[in-house]
Amino acid sequence: MPARPEVVFAGTNGGALDRVEDYEAAGGFRALAKARAMAPDDVIAELEVSGLRGRGGAFFPTGRKWAFVPKPEQLAKPHYLVVNADESEPGTFKDREIILRVPFRFLEGCLIAAYAIQSQHVFVYIRGEYEREFEVLRDALEAMRKRDLLGEITVVLHRGAGAYICGEETALLESLEGRRGQPRTKPPFPAIAGLYAAPTAVNNVESITTVTSVLELGAAEYATLGVENSTGTRVFSLSGDVVTPGNYELPHGITLRELIYDVGGGVPGGRDLKAIIPGGSSTAILTASEIDTPLDFDSLVKAGSSIGSAGVVVIDDRCCMVQLGIRVSQFYEHESCGKCTPCRVGTRWLTQILQKIEDGRSSQADLDLLLSVCDRILGKCLCPLGDSDAIAVASYVDRFRDEFQAHIETGRCPLGGDSSLEGILAPSAQHERHLHEVVHA
Amino acid sequence: MPDLVTLTVDDRQVEVPKGTGLVEAAQAAAIEIPVFCYEPRLGPPVGACRMCLVEIEGMPKLQAGCTLTAQDGMVVRTAATSASAAEGQESTLEFILVNHPLDCPVCDKGGECPLQDLTFRYGPGSTRMSFSKLTFDKPIPVSPLIALDRERCILCYRCTRFSEDVAEDGLLIARNRGAQSEIATFEDEPYRSPFSGNVIELCPVGALTSTLYRFEARPWDIQNVPTVCTGCSVGCNVSATIREGKVKRILSRNHPEIDRGWLCDKGRFTYPHLRATDRITTPLRRGPKGLEEITWDGALDSAEAMLREAEGGIVTALSGSETSEIAYALGRLLREGLGAHSAVLPEATSDALDAFRLPLSAIAEAELLVVVGDDPVVERAPIVDLWIKEAGRRGADVVTCSPTGTVQTQPGGGAELCRELSEPRNRLGRRLRRAARAVLIWSGPGGGGGARIAELAHDLGFDGKPGCGAFHLPATPNARGAAEAWSVAADQDEIDVDHVKLLVVSGDDAAAAPSVRSLAERADAVIVMTMFHELAGGWADLILPATAALERDGTTMNLEGRIQRLRRAVLSPCPDELTWISKLAERFDVDISPHAAGVFAKLAERLFRDLSLDEIGLHAPLPPRHAYETPAAATTPAPTPLPTPTDVHFVGELRLQRYQPLFSGPAVDRVPELSFQRPPREVELSAADANRRGIASGDAVLVRSNGTSVELRASVNRKLVDGVARVAAEHAADLHPSVEVLKS
Repeated sequence: MPARPEVVFAGTNGGALDRVEDYEAAGGFRALAKARAMAPDDVIAELEVSGLRGRGGAFFPTGRKWAFVPKPEQLAKPHYLVVNADESEPGTFKDREIILRVPFRFLEGCLIAAYAIQSQHVFVYIRGEYEREFEVLRDALEAMRKRDLLGEITVVLHRGAGAYICGEETALLESLEGRRGQPRTKPPFPAIAGLYAAPTAVNNVESITTVTSVLELGAAEYATLGVENSTGTRVFSLSGDVVTPGNYELPHGITLRELIYDVGGGVPGGRDLKAIIPGGSSTAILTASEIDTPLDFDSLVKAGSSIGSAGVVVIDDRCCMVQLGIRVSQFYEHESCGKCTPCRVGTRWLTQILQKIEDGRSSQADLDLLLSVCDRILGKCLCPLGDSDAIAVASYVDRFRDEFQAHIETGRCPLGGDSSLEGILAPSAQHERHLHEVVHA
Repeated sequence: MPDLVTLTVDDRQVEVPKGTGLVEAAQAAAIEIPVFCYEPRLGPPVGACRMCLVEIEGMPKLQAGCTLTAQDGMVVRTAATSASAAEGQESTLEFILVNHPLDCPVCDKGGECPLQDLTFRYGPGSTRMSFSKLTFDKPIPVSPLIALDRERCILCYRCTRFSEDVAEDGLLIARNRGAQSEIATFEDEPYRSPFSGNVIELCPVGALTSTLYRFEARPWDIQNVPTVCTGCSVGCNVSATIREGKVKRILSRNHPEIDRGWLCDKGRFTYPHLRATDRITTPLRRGPKGLEEITWDGALDSAEAMLREAEGGIVTALSGSETSEIAYALGRLLREGLGAHSAVLPEATSDALDAFRLPLSAIAEAELLVVVGDDPVVERAPIVDLWIKEAGRRGADVVTCSPTGTVQTQPGGGAELCRELSEPRNRLGRRLRRAARAVLIWSGPGGGGGARIAELAHDLGFDGKPGCGAFHLPATPNARGAAEAWSVAADQDEIDVDHVKLLVVSGDDAAAAPSVRSLAERADAVIVMTMFHELAGGWADLILPATAALERDGTTMNLEGRIQRLRRAVLSPCPDELTWISKLAERFDVDISPHAAGVFAKLAERLFRDLSLDEIGLHAPLPPRHAYETPAAATTPAPTPLPTPTDVHFVGELRLQRYQPLFSGPAVDRVPELSFQRPPREVELSAADANRRGIASGDAVLVRSNGTSVELRASVNRKLVDGVARVAAEHAADLHPSVEVLKS
């Protein structure tokens, strides 16, 4: 069993630190006091030393992102902190657990971040389906307000309306402004012209929560965790064909084998591991033979994939890779915002071609076309959504070409009726259903 | 000199001003970066279509060229020299064509379609798409004027950006997501905006088409004639599309200082009135059985006889809608030939504003804009409204002083407001004095043709400030040109006519003016030149068929004082005015050219400092400013302005504000597709006035004045000043200036 130092979930003992007294008793709000005793730039410097990088998927250094936000004396506009709590990447469900279990640590991080970028306004854009999470945050915020912890800062909880694209930072800003959720072209970057064309830092829930811990532990101490270039811990969302799925906070650099077998109990029913998606549905798939790849930024890039949002999906030998492609591609097709051509058209086309292959109606030309369409999407879209589909699908063909080939040559799915995608990334139809189940507060 | 940057595009070095967009920079090197969604007039680039993908040295991925600005030392490769850019552009076209129907042979856009053109230049030769294309219900009537084909739509968002960021009506929207995204109107209501037609021209494919032009012509059997719109005093530059001698559509023709390529729906969609079934094409003379058709020779004989008989008692009612050449020719005939110097014009004119002249485009640059007058700008000069909106988007402070403005005034309160602004202690006046780029606009009746706002500009010290200026929005397109042309047609002063023996009414604006009608009642005989029966059929003794602006050669002077050229787009169904005026003048020994160019040459000699038609060209230049002179009493026999209804003294509960909506007049009346744009039958009341009377929006009410009443719907206008009942002229019937509004 690997060592499991807890930073994000420190002091929870597997439960929730969701009462303000308990959090305070556990040493809560000390990081905020510590930060407020520092100069804002020193807080940013502290973050740079910690090596903390964005947990939303892009892995951009958090301190550097804040340093890009102009000082109020350089740009006399309101400054905004926007927290991206629109967690929607299939295979990723860490932010909801963070909000439920350590809401105060998260909100404390918001206040520290706002202090660092000299902002008086915090907007938390929370996924619309996160009903309970919203309530927890609302109550936590109320408790903090009663204790006069907010100071001059306004914290707004804004609920999304069910669009994956609003997790893309510029689309999120558009949506927050009350407009259609579609990405903006960059530059200008949000740091310069973000919310209401004013300087804005956009950070993920886990990043912000970790900020509290960094201040508490001290940057140097925090940086001892993890590995080079990927310091600290990560909340891995483990799902799919694994005995004990769930969120596990572990230091960067543990291997997939340790996570899946030592922590997650391995593949159930004695079945064979077939593949692993290491960082949410948008990352390239790995084969069972790559089980010893460490879960850190550099190692996964070396393996041709990405740590993404650290949503690890375990896939056993019952899964048809073409069907998996359809499931993933349908998701991106369904969530494409429709703004740019390659994504709007390409994601749908990919699904159609994959379906044709799965149905056994395809020829070799269709496989070539599939890869060509992936290639024509890749790097040509306005935002990473289209790329995600292309990267995922192309990686399935790359790693499991024989299986695709078998579909074409035999005219049927080699796994026949035995294929199962049960528990592997929710099908897009399931996303649609959520919309109507939401009970409005 | 602006800072320059040097970049390389396809191995060609080019120097452009700093901040130039990459598309324009490439253009400067004669290199095309193809685009669909990019349209700088719509605001910042959106990078949606991905047609403009280019390779930039030092950047790992292809970049959307339209979203970049030229940087010093930038090395750009387009499809011409970069295989990956070529592949990128082919990819985009392949994706667009996956769902775009290949119905070019029956598509209105076919032959003048950017998608078609770029597909030929950059697209794949064949398709790899083997699935069914996406289908949508079509065509969708976005409004009675515009049909939407969602299958052809490539989602460039030009139309929605126009609606949101230029016209600011927010009525066109994109809805749904991904492949199911579609253009729609908000709540599926008709797209009712004075500027709706622009989206047809903006559409780079055949998705938004004009219901009036649909299936009427193909691009290879039309000619486009460059002319000028006379729908209002702006004088937007337009092209008239002609097929087989008929006007089939009107397109904008970008004059960057006047219209920037936008056109209002009145200018765009009223051309069908040329072929209205009730158009008069043969002269009519009142006989024992009413008006009877006569020959042109007979008409000229009658006119000659009437003129000779009335000598010494002739008054001419000019129109602001005729060309300067017609006014001049009439002046020569009536003044030189008959000594009939008296003329009236439905509105006042003035040259005082020449001292504060600016191009209309300068409005967008203003930091402070003050609009004074009773009428919303959009009703009088719609394109000016777009310039004002742009100024607002750029951060200008726009202050509207009107019955519905940000500063509320009573109807007719403009003059008083100008007096207040000119006082040294007035706060807004002080800001106007301080500003480097302040613009004043008079929008409404009673402005003395611009004299009043010019006086204010002078008082505020605008004389020596090149960034400050003032505009007056006349009610008609060429009132000043007509008045000045009439004035210089002869030298003698005006003689007072106490008994009007003959009234000569020239043009529809004059014929429709109530003040001209009452003058006609006092005249022994009336000659009217008009296009339509209804305007003068009841009171004219001789009707001579008039031509429409699209059938005329000549010049007009717009509200900036810019002289622009009309070109005959189609032949008129009757001889044009200059032809018969010239013939009639011969009988009075007056020599007038039957051709507009000939008349213009004389006019230019006397009025326009020998300006030539070549100098006017396709995009007329703006004359320089003149020094401001305090207006003296007119010495030349300029046409007398007739009183406007708001000049009438008022006593009572509510003051009737009768306004002339943009969508009104004989031409609009004859285009049924435009009727949805007309104001509803309603009376607008302030919230307080409505409350006091227990009236809510939508209630049926009776608008009553001494002895007459009209039934209308109430509409509570929260911006309207108290004490006013606002009704479109066409629904106000014979109501008096003081009215009462009661729930019926």
